[in-house]
Amino acid sequence: MLPNLEELEVDRIHGRDDDARKKVKREVNVDMNPMVDLAFLLLTFFMLATTFSKPQAMEILVPAKAKDNAEVKETPVKESKTMSLVLKENEIVWYRGITEPETFEIDYRESALLEILAEANANTDGLVVLIKPLSSNEYEDLVLVLDVLSYSGVERYSLIEPSEFDLEMEE
Amino acid sequence: MAMLRNIKTKPKLDMNPMVDMAFLLVTFFMMTTTFRPELPEEVLIPPSSAEVKLPERNLATITITKNGMVFFGIDNKFDRRELLSMVGREMGVSFDESQLDTYSLTATSGVPMKKMGEFLNAKFAKVAFEQEGIPLRDDSELFYWIRNARAVNPSLRFAINADGKTKYPVIHDVFETLRELGVTRFNLVTEKTEEDVAKS
Repeated sequence: MLPNLEELEVDRIHGRDDDARKKVKREVNVDMNPMVDLAFLLLTFFMLATTFSKPQAMEILVPAKAKDNAEVKETPVKESKTMSLVLKENEIVWYRGITEPETFEIDYRESALLEILAEANANTDGLVVLIKPLSSNEYEDLVLVLDVLSYSGVERYSLIEPSEFDLEMEE
Repeated sequence: MAMLRNIKTKPKLDMNPMVDMAFLLVTFFMMTTTFRPELPEEVLIPPSSAEVKLPERNLATITITKNGMVFFGIDNKFDRRELLSMVGREMGVSFDESQLDTYSLTATSGVPMKKMGEFLNAKFAKVAFEQEGIPLRDDSELFYWIRNARAVNPSLRFAINADGKTKYPVIHDVFETLRELGVTRFNLVTEKTEEDVAKS
């Protein structure tokens, strides 16, 4: 323990010597300051080096790829039962069917997307949503679309390559 | 009597409770957190309302940074040694014991095989090695990593940990690589958010 200078000073003034002091029962003064420093250092280390337990995940299913020799077995889907979502960088362009459709634009964050999907799902039996991300699309927007899709009740969707018609939409 | 008190006595603060509190906080953090995998770049995962928990074991993680660098890693330390030797054999690169040891302690890595030896040697040395990501185009090494990882651990599940701002083409390549190997079911790591467009 570090000598308590004040007490030594006081003792000197009063003329007390070592022997007298040894007999007196002294309480131990532990200086806690370094201990606190240590504790906070450890704390800071753990705060910076770790992360709260595992972040959540979203499951995604993609169709299996056909082997080279096997024929590509594509289940034909009626045009009228499809709904395409072309994911551009800042917005989604959606349309029904394949040939010469009427296109609509909608922003990613708009809640209307869920309504549009739910409505389409309600009035079309066996709706298939085709998600076509363009190369300028950002991953988080794709995740958002998949997330909204999971709430809309749409049972069948697939991630496919954009068609020529879709590619024309890229700025 | 208070007036006669020696005004030279300095106030003494009792630090005991402060230490107790600090250790309580340390214990809390020690119990509830796991070490963050060290990555050359911070990956900001996109938000979603999905609540599926990532599996704790038998997990392979493919990490993608926003400029398209791809990293790969599996969770089991013991499997990693086997994985590295197998991929090395397939690509004509061999590793010595200490390199295998270093790899088994590496949670995730992203270097082309020809630079792997150098990377492993540098890992605990103070030299910072620039990881450039696993090649996807031309000779897709990711394909070999995934295939061998599944051979080492047949019940492996895949999680894609990509930055929200990554452009689609890289994601597409990773998806395609997985599809080619018959992996049709995997997880996208997202952050649970309260405020949600989907639910509004």
